[in-house]
Amino acid sequence: MHGRAVVVGVGESAYYKHGGSPDTEFQLACTAIRNAADDAGLELRQLDGLISYMDNRNSPLRIADALGFEELRWSSTPWAGGGNNSSATMHLADAAVSGGHANYVVAFRALAQGQFQRLGSGAGLMAGTAPEGLSWGLPYGLMSPAQECALQTNRWMHDHGVSQEALASVSLACYANAQRNPRAVRYGRPLTREDYHASRWIVEPFHLFDCCMENDGAAALIITTPERAKDLPGKAVPIVATAQGKGPEIGLTTFQQRWFPGMYYENVGRILWERAGVKPADIDVLQMYENFTGPVVMALCEMGFCEPADVEAFVGDGRLEGPDAALPFNTSGGNIAEAYIHGLEMVVEAVRQVRGESTCQAKNVELSLAVGGPGYAPGSAVLFGPAI
Amino acid sequence: MSRYLGDDFILPGLTPNNTPFFTAGSIQIQFCDDCGHAQHPPDDLCYACQGRNLSFRTCPGTGRVESCARVHHPLHPALRERVPYVIAIVSVDGAPGVNVQGNVVHCDANSVRIGQKVRAVYEEAVDPHSGTKLLIPQWEPVD
Repeated sequence: MHGRAVVVGVGESAYYKHGGSPDTEFQLACTAIRNAADDAGLELRQLDGLISYMDNRNSPLRIADALGFEELRWSSTPWAGGGNNSSATMHLADAAVSGGHANYVVAFRALAQGQFQRLGSGAGLMAGTAPEGLSWGLPYGLMSPAQECALQTNRWMHDHGVSQEALASVSLACYANAQRNPRAVRYGRPLTREDYHASRWIVEPFHLFDCCMENDGAAALIITTPERAKDLPGKAVPIVATAQGKGPEIGLTTFQQRWFPGMYYENVGRILWERAGVKPADIDVLQMYENFTGPVVMALCEMGFCEPADVEAFVGDGRLEGPDAALPFNTSGGNIAEAYIHGLEMVVEAVRQVRGESTCQAKNVELSLAVGGPGYAPGSAVLFGPAI
Repeated sequence: MSRYLGDDFILPGLTPNNTPFFTAGSIQIQFCDDCGHAQHPPDDLCYACQGRNLSFRTCPGTGRVESCARVHHPLHPALRERVPYVIAIVSVDGAPGVNVQGNVVHCDANSVRIGQKVRAVYEEAVDPHSGTKLLIPQWEPVD
């Protein structure tokens, strides 16, 4: 196992419904980073690296100046897509500190959708002609990730005989776990299978509760070397392995036959298991980015957790719900029921599980996995190991 | 033919690579003249052999619904009166491996099925920037 980089601090802002934050997006980002530094026992001036993803609007220069970094030695963002890169932040942070480029690297994500438009609103697409690259879908009203993932999921369910109940089970697990988490936006709002089926369609097969929320908030993690972590007061959580990438000729959202239907996680899983020297059955707790429930069940299969023929049983009968689940899953409530901080809040939760600090704490956690958003390439995953 | 999602709905923005598809009035797919590979969307290089001798070929204009989805939540004001509508992925006969995006028109939204045979029809419009006549491919069921 690798373990030449460790997470020493995690921080969050409060999480709000979309448009509900009294703070600007930049203030939210700075709050999460300050909380992560406090958690690590570091002064803000000691931080010297910044990583974000998904067209981050908060300049690393502005953050480093505002928070008083003495110097900036690493700033980067992974290419392409969106929440598929949530775990790729750890891939880059691992490279930055294990390669000796920087000492205390911050990975962060912040969003205030009252200040800026909602991600899934389709706003900005009102003009007469579609921008280059979007012309293949927009004139046909194919204009959102929910619709793209619905087309993938419908064909996959058709091919493998998977029913709506598998999707329901994923959503219900997220909601059940969020009821233990006072930070969760959907805390105190339990969901029944009847509520799920009665909720309105967004695009079939996705009901409202198959879709991630839209929220305001920020999350941050601080990564350093195990040697530097010895001088810090808290537990250090090793990055055992990361993977980011894609297989051949994916064509992203153009749905070409070779990889249709697919979530593009076969190679992410294969690389991760090879690098870590473990297999899916060894994972003690899993955080898997739910943009929508369908991509989660597909990616579970692509990464080798189960076969499509077995997926309904694998996710059904509460097997993902609660701390004593067969596979504790999205234990904070995830993008569907805690908050949609584009998946970085789930990387924070994966660290919390290793520390033993989750509100839905799995037992004897040694291997804690966080998987980025399925359905968009390059995918990413990070595996955390026993705390030191 | 008038447009499935309304004549004022978003139009394709023409580029050199997509102009044949959206203006020819037939199904135009890019092939490599060196190795015969068919690819979509069209690009500047063959993805199979990296050759640059690429040309558009006219396909028969038939295909098969590889997937479809009924959209209920309108993401554009013009779609409020159009939901539920059907988006589809269609495999193109004569172009191995190629799928295109579109709608399945001239039928009940609840009747569209994976595996259904379809044929191309064309929506007429005018590109507001160049005045070029557009013939936007759509798909209707083959009885």
